[in-house]
Amino acid sequence: MATANLAARRRTVNNVMTGVLWAAALSIIVLLAFFVGYILYLGAPVISWHFLTAPPSELAAGGGIGPEIFNSFYILILTLIFTTPIATAGGIYLQEYARPGIFTSAVQFCAESLATIPSIVMGLFGLLVFVTLLHWHFTALGGALTLTILNLPALMRVTQEALQTVPSTFREGSMALGATKWQTIRRVVLPSAIAPLTTGIVLIAGRIFGETAALIFTAGVSVSAGRSAYDFGLFHQAETLSVHLWYVHSEGLVPDAAQVGNGSALVLLVMVLIFNIGARLLGYALHKRLTGK
Amino acid sequence: MAALMLYLAYMGLQLFFIDHVNPLVFLFSPNFSPDAHHPGALVFILGSVFVTLFALCVGGPFGVGVGVFLSQIAPPKLATLMKPAIEILVGIPSVVYGWLGLTLLAPLIRHSTGSLTGFGLLTAGIVLSIMILPTVISLSEDALRAVHISMKEGSMALGATRWQTIWSVMLPAARSGLTVAVILGIARAIGEALAVQMVIGNSAVLPKGLLAPTAALTTEIVTDMGSAQEGTVLYHSLFSMAFLLLLIAMALILGVRLAVRRSS
Repeated sequence: MATANLAARRRTVNNVMTGVLWAAALSIIVLLAFFVGYILYLGAPVISWHFLTAPPSELAAGGGIGPEIFNSFYILILTLIFTTPIATAGGIYLQEYARPGIFTSAVQFCAESLATIPSIVMGLFGLLVFVTLLHWHFTALGGALTLTILNLPALMRVTQEALQTVPSTFREGSMALGATKWQTIRRVVLPSAIAPLTTGIVLIAGRIFGETAALIFTAGVSVSAGRSAYDFGLFHQAETLSVHLWYVHSEGLVPDAAQVGNGSALVLLVMVLIFNIGARLLGYALHKRLTGK
Repeated sequence: MAALMLYLAYMGLQLFFIDHVNPLVFLFSPNFSPDAHHPGALVFILGSVFVTLFALCVGGPFGVGVGVFLSQIAPPKLATLMKPAIEILVGIPSVVYGWLGLTLLAPLIRHSTGSLTGFGLLTAGIVLSIMILPTVISLSEDALRAVHISMKEGSMALGATRWQTIWSVMLPAARSGLTVAVILGIARAIGEALAVQMVIGNSAVLPKGLLAPTAALTTEIVTDMGSAQEGTVLYHSLFSMAFLLLLIAMALILGVRLAVRRSS
């Protein structure tokens, strides 16, 4: 009798907990769907051609976010230009060349610590170096360099993980055919790892696009006043879209801050979705093309 | 890396060596009046600790639960559907979370509790709980997947139910990985600046309850850095806070290393 009761109780607990875990997991999907729906609901009425292209306004209502969108992409591209070569080189070194030792573990430790430093702290470091020490003031270049330091470890990690997916038989086969180490990496390992590498880079690009805390005190909170709104100047202020969303709420004076915020939030969310879906499609296409599967 | 550490240490310690502020005042005084040469940062330190603890208590179990679900229970199709959803949650910029907290959560809390603004510890804590979820979920899922299948099979073969297996075998076996998941969740929560700054209320007073507005280390930096004059006590104390955050991040990474080493 007692054992039967116990067995029944075990089963009940099992069923209840299974139900709880199902509910928790499904609530994640509901949460995401709700976020997307709510931001769409708030932002959709604001979006217009004018809003997406017009320069922002400091005092009157009716400002747009055109230069902010441009700056977001500009700083993203600059950051990727700086980050990608260093990070892939570092990742290749750590994965293919480095032998376990003090130097390697020191590099790993630095990368890990760098990855946990809060982005606002990184922003202050950027402020010290690029704005105060080098007297650049708030610049697109300073912002991009700060983001470079911030995202190096993540991108290095991505490179390492992509290289890990290449089976060691590939390397051994290539070496056995007489290829040098570098030829093996260049012709065999990298092409085989290109799909996960691309996916990883695009996902990180999405994160760079939305980064805010590190940019407020390095790239500034306004678009270069007086000049053309679409401005390639490396040493001009370059407020990005995510910074703008923070700025209109916290410091801005425009009466339609809520509308501008709703619209900016929607554009940011759509961009994140595009980056995420794009990363998957691109990785899938590359994989298919390179492996013929 | 070393340059960054040293430079921030140099800037962060100026408060004590140039302005001759007692470090104990900085760490333990709740009275933040840099103009009066008394930059007590206790409010901000406690604010950071409180919101992080809140996020951990809510987001931690929830995240580990979903990690368990994904690794042990979910049908493979559902798991492949949820992975991108979680990645998108990671990708949503923190300002957008802050904006959601501002336009959705704060009014909700205002109406349901009668708090004046809806800004405060509770709002910031909830926003952070959601923000640390993806980190905790994916790391705990990895940790549970790394447990050898024979452990699970052995437990099931002894007649344990799935939940008994999860609770008494899988979770203890994945303990160090789960610790890492939680620590990195803490790191994400304590370093988050803007999402918290938008909903915490930003007043430098000790909170009297969950609904009261307060401030955290990161939010104080964001709020006052723009107006701080170079070389003032305020400017130096903000850098001391940044240095403190850096030390906390380093401590957390050491914790991760310790947890990993203990398991191997």
